[in-house]
Amino acid sequence: MAESAAWVLALDHQLRAAVGERELVYLIEAPILLDVPRSPPYCRQVLVWNDTVLPAMDLAAWLRGQSTQRQEPLAGVFGYQSRPGADPEYGALLLSAIPTRTRVDDDQVCALPKQPRYWQTLAISCFQQGDQPIPILDLPHIFSGGLL
Amino acid sequence: MNGPTQATALADLQAIRAFAVLTLDGRKWLLPQAEIQALESLLDIDHEVRIPRSIGAVAFAGEWWPVYCLSGELRLLSEPPDSRRACPLLDNGADRFGLVCDQVEALTAAPRLLAPPACMAPPNSPIRALALLGDELGCVTTTEHLAALIAAALENADG
Repeated sequence: MAESAAWVLALDHQLRAAVGERELVYLIEAPILLDVPRSPPYCRQVLVWNDTVLPAMDLAAWLRGQSTQRQEPLAGVFGYQSRPGADPEYGALLLSAIPTRTRVDDDQVCALPKQPRYWQTLAISCFQQGDQPIPILDLPHIFSGGLL
Repeated sequence: MNGPTQATALADLQAIRAFAVLTLDGRKWLLPQAEIQALESLLDIDHEVRIPRSIGAVAFAGEWWPVYCLSGELRLLSEPPDSRRACPLLDNGADRFGLVCDQVEALTAAPRLLAPPACMAPPNSPIRALALLGDELGCVTTTEHLAALIAAALENADG
């Protein structure tokens, strides 16, 4: 039985998702967000990190179709590869709480949540944690324009 | 915009040394300075000369240049907001028009241009690059892309 480590992310007060242990590279509390005109409502802003700009994606807004209110804004910086062997690329997700680390066994695999709809667009798999299914995010798809 | 095409477009823009900043509703849009042919006053706009979706025209170099008004999000407006104070005439050799702006400034140094994130801008986006201007963000576009955006708006209006 294979076991691996993951981070569980709070996309808003209710929605949870996960990424692989190595995909979360940095957390920014109270990030300075800069508006980009003509950008989609779920990704209206960028943040400056390591001398470049990263998209600040609000996946809860994309899933729910409306913007998310967060008491204490938090952004996670995530690394991903758009194809095997490619240089790492980075994007940011807006979060509602500090991620929690967990270990996942193969036998925890489960179906994606039925609500909100469209989880299948964002996720490559899903695992059960307690009574909650936790979708595993497809970061290359999310950050390479797959939601446009 | 796919990877190699985006990289080429960015490299082309990075070769440009001088940019002007056009402020629209507080948002900063950067254009190659060489594409600004002249800077006219709003008083020079003849509102009786109407080209579809324009707010009038300016007589310059023996021709009428249509003048358009775009919002900070680059949506065509039929009436200029009170904040508009200048009218640069844009000319890239193929497209010629005026654009009413809040303010027009020349950048004193070439900005460092960054590729717009792929998840924020579709391939036909007029935003060709982003530029950090102190603690603000500027969006880089060109006369060609503004002309295409205006033409698309005209087509949609006709349809």
